Amino acid sequence: MSLPRSDYDPRRVCLNPFPDVNLGKHRRTIGIYLAGALFALANWTFLDAAILSAHAHAPYDEPQIPPPVHVQFVDWVPGFCSLFGMLIVNLIDKDRIRGEDGFGDSRAVWRARLFLFIGFALMAGGLAGSVSLLVLKYVMKDYPEQYTYYGYANVSQNVALMLSAVVLWIAQSAQSEFDYNLTL
Amino acid sequence: MSAGLKTVILLSFVLAVGFLLIILSCALWANWLPLLVALTFVLAPLPNALFAHCGGDEFSSYENSGAVDLGRFITATIVITGFAFPIVLTHSEVIRPAACAMSILGGGLVYGTILAYSAAFRQDDSEFD
Repeated sequence: MSLPRSDYDPRRVCLNPFPDVNLGKHRRTIGIYLAGALFALANWTFLDAAILSAHAHAPYDEPQIPPPVHVQFVDWVPGFCSLFGMLIVNLIDKDRIRGEDGFGDSRAVWRARLFLFIGFALMAGGLAGSVSLLVLKYVMKDYPEQYTYYGYANVSQNVALMLSAVVLWIAQSAQSEFDYNLTL
Repeated sequence: MSAGLKTVILLSFVLAVGFLLIILSCALWANWLPLLVALTFVLAPLPNALFAHCGGDEFSSYENSGAVDLGRFITATIVITGFAFPIVLTHSEVIRPAACAMSILGGGLVYGTILAYSAAFRQDDSEFD
């Protein structure tokens, strides 16, 4: 009688992929703080590269040639994609995705899943874009390590943004005991 | 009451030391960018304080707490910004490493003072933290 109705249903595509872990009320708070910290770390990693690029110079005991590469607008684009995708993913009501019966109309569930898919696609696109930027702009041209750091910072920014979104999702979909009591 | 008075005096002393460290880190090298760290840490508890009362009534405090979550997220972001900003400035040689260490220490003291103050004098009727 108390079996979960739809733990496995092959017709569902974007079903809430994490198990319903009962973590208690403080785990949720910690998870959200952690997500915020990861978010800030991600953006500061990239901003570090951008500021470093603006202040870049050759070592003082070498001839002062200008640096061969700078952080340009292209480097900002993957971060924007990830940021935008994270925003979309987090603006969706998590209860819509589960698609329980009697919860609004079915078209709302369908649209919510579509936008969730777009959000995840934007985040994955940001990650892929940062990796391709690293390879095409920095690694292929054999710059010294001082300059390939810009590309690595970009990749780590997008990885940390994705981690932040995942942590936020897990923290928000962890059910509290109060909710559990009410739904029983 | 004398215990509360001692706490207040100690906290204000620590706060003054924190601001002193930040201002010294600016003034010693005549570069006033680390002063933004003080601003950041003073602003850090603001989103939590603003959004803590948007959590809805007591029946749905953990159900519809998107605003509270947003406040916590922004708070964590601002705190990490306060620590990361001097490090980034040091990395690109805008400020000295000593100024970075002093401003981070001072900012930590300021934020720790705010946290300790709100933990010590919290009204017991609120369930949020």
